[in-house]
Amino acid sequence: MIHLEKIEKVYRTDTVETLALNSISLNVAKGEFLSIMGPSGCGKSTLLNIMGLLDAPSKGEIKIDTQQTTGFSDKQLAQFRNKKIGFIFQSYHLINDLKVLDNVELPLLYRSSTAKQRKELATAALAKVGLSNRVKHFPTQLSGGQKQRVAIARAIVGEPEIILADEPTGNLDSAMGNEIMEILINLNRTEGTTIVMVTHDEQMAKKTHRLVRLFDGSQVQ
Amino acid sequence: MLQHLFKLIWNKKKQNFLLIIEMLISFIVMFAVFTLVVYFYQNYNRPMGFEYENVWTTRYDNPAGMSDTDSVTEFRASLKQLVKAMPQVAEVAFSNVNTPFSDATIGGGINHGKIQARTNLYSADDAYRDVLGIQLKAGRWFSKDDMGAREKPVVINESLKQELFGNDNPIGKTVNDHDRVVGVVSDMKDEGDFTGRKNAVFSRVDTSNQLWGGVMLIKVKPTADADFEGRLYKALSGAIQNKSIEISHLDKLRTGKNQRLLTGVIIILIVAGFLVVNVALGLFGVLWYNINKRKSEIGLRRAVGASGAAISKQLIGEAMVLATLALIIGTFFAIQFPLMNVFNLATNTYLIALALAITFIYLLVIICALYPGRQAAAIFPAVALHEE
Repeated sequence: MIHLEKIEKVYRTDTVETLALNSISLNVAKGEFLSIMGPSGCGKSTLLNIMGLLDAPSKGEIKIDTQQTTGFSDKQLAQFRNKKIGFIFQSYHLINDLKVLDNVELPLLYRSSTAKQRKELATAALAKVGLSNRVKHFPTQLSGGQKQRVAIARAIVGEPEIILADEPTGNLDSAMGNEIMEILINLNRTEGTTIVMVTHDEQMAKKTHRLVRLFDGSQVQ
Repeated sequence: MLQHLFKLIWNKKKQNFLLIIEMLISFIVMFAVFTLVVYFYQNYNRPMGFEYENVWTTRYDNPAGMSDTDSVTEFRASLKQLVKAMPQVAEVAFSNVNTPFSDATIGGGINHGKIQARTNLYSADDAYRDVLGIQLKAGRWFSKDDMGAREKPVVINESLKQELFGNDNPIGKTVNDHDRVVGVVSDMKDEGDFTGRKNAVFSRVDTSNQLWGGVMLIKVKPTADADFEGRLYKALSGAIQNKSIEISHLDKLRTGKNQRLLTGVIIILIVAGFLVVNVALGLFGVLWYNINKRKSEIGLRRAVGASGAAISKQLIGEAMVLATLALIIGTFFAIQFPLMNVFNLATNTYLIALALAITFIYLLVIICALYPGRQAAAIFPAVALHEE
């Protein structure tokens, strides 16, 4: 599903050149639940951003669903992300000025759909994560676990084939973290969604199909 | 997407309130400025209604000891004869102090039946129309036959005719209960090129209230030069036996009058310009601040499928929606001016000014939102998402 070939990422300033990723090659199969671990600053999030086409590699090739994404225009990348990939972030990235339902509808705004369709799909996505009773709340009225569930609903509302989760349980206590993990596992199992998750938590990583470890930008496992 | 923008703006109404007020005040100021500019432009494009080239005004004090109207009338006749006899003079007329482009105005009320109006009052003699080349639209101008008429003859201008009589023929009709309209003349822009329509009533010069002196309008031939002006001054000072004579040229008075008015307008435009610059900077600053404050949101939108152009469009769209809200409120207030006939300006003056002010505010908002919008579009999603 995701094919990374000799990915390198270098951050340059006037005086310093930092190698964030060093020749990473990785294949993620369709329906796989992969976790990425490593110490802070090892390049986990950078790798996830590159997989999600949010950042461009300095070198290497990315193929998603057999499509070569190198050379995509900004518009093509945006459309590709919109249709193929859902994102979940550690800090939720909900828009506090929008109600829960409107937050979940967000990806659908960037594809052709009617207001009625958006509402139906968003309501269904919220039901999947058990938040049907919070649709009219604002994010500031929710707990951390609820916020992350809203973020998951937003990630799955467009029915993407891939979900990229950047430390989705990082800001939550273990009980809440387990709840979120259950939702992700369930998604992977029932919908066949390919999930790549960055985590610091060994216990969470053990629940996934495969673990990849990074150290100083290189793959060590 | 528009519905989404409205939701976003509505949910942030407290933050957006000040921005809307800022746009509203700018709109009101621009509406006032454009009303002024359109009004002056429309007036500028109207014909002058009279000829000011080669017309001089002469003010003088009567000779000492002249205290009755008979002697004033006799003196005026001789003075007119003296001036008219000069080869460079085409025509001479007596007037009151409110000659064209002077700073003097004489006003009063006039009525026709129950219809009342305010008007400027002019004193003119039989040659006044010829000196100023005023166009006669109906009836006639004054003549010697009007001397001693039982009902005082008056000539009115087109604006007053319209206000008092509408489309009816005013000739022979009575105004002020005892004055009879004998003629209608074109409107004169006698207070400068930018003067609006004003009502005017002309009546024959009454020497009984001009014992102090008089005002002559002299139509000179194009050959009249400074030498002639010197000779005229000398002849007049000899006749009135004093030197209290003031000769002015209408074309120079007109230039001065226009310049004074334009100076005022330019000052208003400069003040309005400063305000617009302030609003533009404020708007630019707020939008810029919004982008920095909303980097995380921008990053998220990019992640879920918004292209750079879509982000740029959204930010400009938000600013346009805010401007629209401000303009709806502003238009409600602005539209009251023509509806309530405030300042007695034509409806189309207000409507043109309204359209210009709306266009101006939209352009200002687009310009101010364009650069921040483009900056937002250039934000890398990964970077924006990292900045929480």
